[in-house]
Amino acid sequence: MNKYTVINPHSEFKVINTHVHNIDGAAKVTGRATYTFDVKLPNMLYGKILRSPHPHAKILNIDYSKALELPGVIGVVTGKDTLGVKQGIWRRYQDLCDEQVLTVEKVRYIGEAVAAVAAITEEIAEKALDLIDVDYEVLPAVFEPMEAIKKEAPEIHEGFERNINVTRHIEWGDVEEAFEEAEYIREDWFKCGGQAHMCMETRAAVSDYTPDGKLTIYHSNQSPYYMQGLMAGVLGMREGDIRVISTYVGGGFGGKFELDGAIFCSAVLSKKLHRPVKIVFTREEDFIASKRRTPMFYYVRTGVKKDGTFCAREAKVFTNGGAYTGMGATALYLTGFFHSFPYRWKGYRYDGYRVYTNTLPSTSMRGFGAPQAMFCSEQQIEWIAADLGLDPIEMRRKNSHYEGYEVPGQATIASCGIDQCYDEIKKWIASKGKLPANRSIGISACGFMSGGIFNWFDTPYSFSSAVITINQDGTVELHVGAQEIGQGSNTTMAIICAETLGVKVEDIKVHSGDTDHCPPDLGAWGSRQTLMAGNAVKMAAEDAKKQLLEFAYAQSGYNIVYDLDIKDRWVHAIARPERGYDYGELVKKALRGKDGQRIVGRGYYTPHRKGMISPAYSYMLQGVEVEVDEETGKIKLVDSFTAHDCGQPINHLGLIGQLEGAFSMAAGYGYLEYMPYEDGKLMNPNLVDYKMIRATEMPPANIAEIDTYEPEGPYGAKEAGEGLTNPTAAAIGNAIFHRFGVQMKENPIRPEMILNALREKAEQDKAAGKDKPGKKK
Amino acid sequence: MGDPIICPVCGRKAKTGSAIDCARHMFGTGDKPHRQWVEAQGLSFIDLLIEQATTPGNKSYVALAEIIEKHAQAQKK
Repeated sequence: MNKYTVINPHSEFKVINTHVHNIDGAAKVTGRATYTFDVKLPNMLYGKILRSPHPHAKILNIDYSKALELPGVIGVVTGKDTLGVKQGIWRRYQDLCDEQVLTVEKVRYIGEAVAAVAAITEEIAEKALDLIDVDYEVLPAVFEPMEAIKKEAPEIHEGFERNINVTRHIEWGDVEEAFEEAEYIREDWFKCGGQAHMCMETRAAVSDYTPDGKLTIYHSNQSPYYMQGLMAGVLGMREGDIRVISTYVGGGFGGKFELDGAIFCSAVLSKKLHRPVKIVFTREEDFIASKRRTPMFYYVRTGVKKDGTFCAREAKVFTNGGAYTGMGATALYLTGFFHSFPYRWKGYRYDGYRVYTNTLPSTSMRGFGAPQAMFCSEQQIEWIAADLGLDPIEMRRKNSHYEGYEVPGQATIASCGIDQCYDEIKKWIASKGKLPANRSIGISACGFMSGGIFNWFDTPYSFSSAVITINQDGTVELHVGAQEIGQGSNTTMAIICAETLGVKVEDIKVHSGDTDHCPPDLGAWGSRQTLMAGNAVKMAAEDAKKQLLEFAYAQSGYNIVYDLDIKDRWVHAIARPERGYDYGELVKKALRGKDGQRIVGRGYYTPHRKGMISPAYSYMLQGVEVEVDEETGKIKLVDSFTAHDCGQPINHLGLIGQLEGAFSMAAGYGYLEYMPYEDGKLMNPNLVDYKMIRATEMPPANIAEIDTYEPEGPYGAKEAGEGLTNPTAAAIGNAIFHRFGVQMKENPIRPEMILNALREKAEQDKAAGKDKPGKKK
Repeated sequence: MGDPIICPVCGRKAKTGSAIDCARHMFGTGDKPHRQWVEAQGLSFIDLLIEQATTPGNKSYVALAEIIEKHAQAQKK
């Protein structure tokens, strides 16, 4: 049974943090929600994509004449039917726009799209793929970043020496001097694995190009505005002639805000054939031909004083970028930044290198580089505390961020509840008492951003916008570009709108996921929506409310406007709340007074002067109780506890769901979700062999929410639900360290790795004349 | 502290105006003109980058900073 407690609760709200269920929950549980998969249009065709069997090869010729002869096949397209635009989400930097979704001359990973077929059924389209002949000239390939940077490695992209795609450098303080001050220095190498996004809904799109030159696309994504902009670029169309509809999305997790084969190939086919075309990825395609969490090699050198004061840290990171850039450049920066979190370093230096290889491209995924950073950082810190004989919690506390702290040249911390997180985790550990011999506890700390301030997409629009229209009966149409992907964004926006306007959640109708009707917004990534879109919604609601209260004021006879307010649909004087009248009545009067013009409120948000990364940061500390079978090396999570600071929670039901979901994904990254490649081929692209944590394997996810107030957030809110993907892998590793004294430097931590580590330790102990590892004294 | 060092390629002053910040700027920018300038000084841009990545410390940045400083002094004269 999960426990949820709140520390320092605020109670001045009427709607915020009350018991609000997801506003789209009923549509989802009754099957009425229309996902892209469910879309059917008249005369619709079904598309399938032919994929490369080679990790690196030139395309010499594609002959699809036999495919066209198959009854039911309507058309085939290859890269030659496209403009051949190299695109990418880093639009501001042309070098990083390196991917043709339907490749023209060369394939760079197994699974890359080389042709697409449209037919009257999916089965016919699938059969037609076998009738397409592609002549390849196979090229030498390279799969690991440390191999790809060697002089003799094959060149994957022309002009990128040693296959280095992007570098990132972060530095503050005098690092060498800070290392000089250290009395203890430790260095370690780590290897962090990839991870599949594993959305319930695979990549899917329906494109409908009409003779008037307009294109409507139904697509499962995290940012309809990004899709609109990117598709306009690759098709040579105007953004305004493309409508992207993404009303319901079955998960994104960072993998659905770049162009994918489904949206691009369906659009190219539809443009060529003038019929709607639907493409839905199979689960295998989602594994081999989408993108993944970035695998990383991490070198970490840390210097501390004997009393545990942190002095300096240096990190060198090589990431396996796969064949294309995607969002990998951002992940490369963020992993380096969050590797310093949540601590104060006198000197800090990070050198990150993203390296092209002939594997599936890697990109953003929930946590955005931070889970890898924390796997390395939080384990090394635990080992340092053990080496120095210090309490690992108190050592962390001593060096942690605090309210008002400035990460030099990077960020200002305006709210920070981590100190109380330490108190809560200590209480939880104490409450466990003496553990059975086969169990141990590991902890890990971290922080995370509340949206990114970077504008690599080069948008001239505000980062977030909202428009509110009030109907004559008082109901509210809220149009937002914020994207609902299952994380509860629509509900959060409705709550903020209702709280601000002084009405109830059921009065708000949220419109999102449609570029024709919703204002542009960067969408759902980097934990940005509650803070950024939430601020835009709050501003729009305040604008609308101000217009209403002007009428109320004119009627009331009071001499100052701010004497009036609306709460619970009741328009009243603040000093005399019993004196008032119904909000619906006010709306009608206001409409009449404006000659029928509707009340429209507008809001927008773009961060300014907020450092290099984000306007605000969440903080958290997690503990996991782990059981390991010494004979098999199998890990079982028994219990967990998270002390968490997300500022002011907007919706605690949504918060609990987000934290549980993040924890399950993080646990999978920690010990289950393994992506082994052989010669560039993923060996387990299915749900039988790719192990994810199941409901029966989830331990209780107990939460203590430390309420703080973030001045930049709407009503004090900041990130929740992505940051918690970061600490778990390290916490599991730390539990194993405390049980057996072995250090797990690679994740996911698999049974064979534990057994090998135990074997090696036994040999070392034997040589040193010690007891069996893991034996409790 | 002497005059701030200006990037010999694009003319920007990097952060504090020190030679090491200018070296960081050159690596960070990493475009063709900056690479060519480094190569023209007899260094290999890519080798410096790999050296920085694969060995502890800050050797490559320091090496480039020394060259930038010498260049700046020569320009002054």
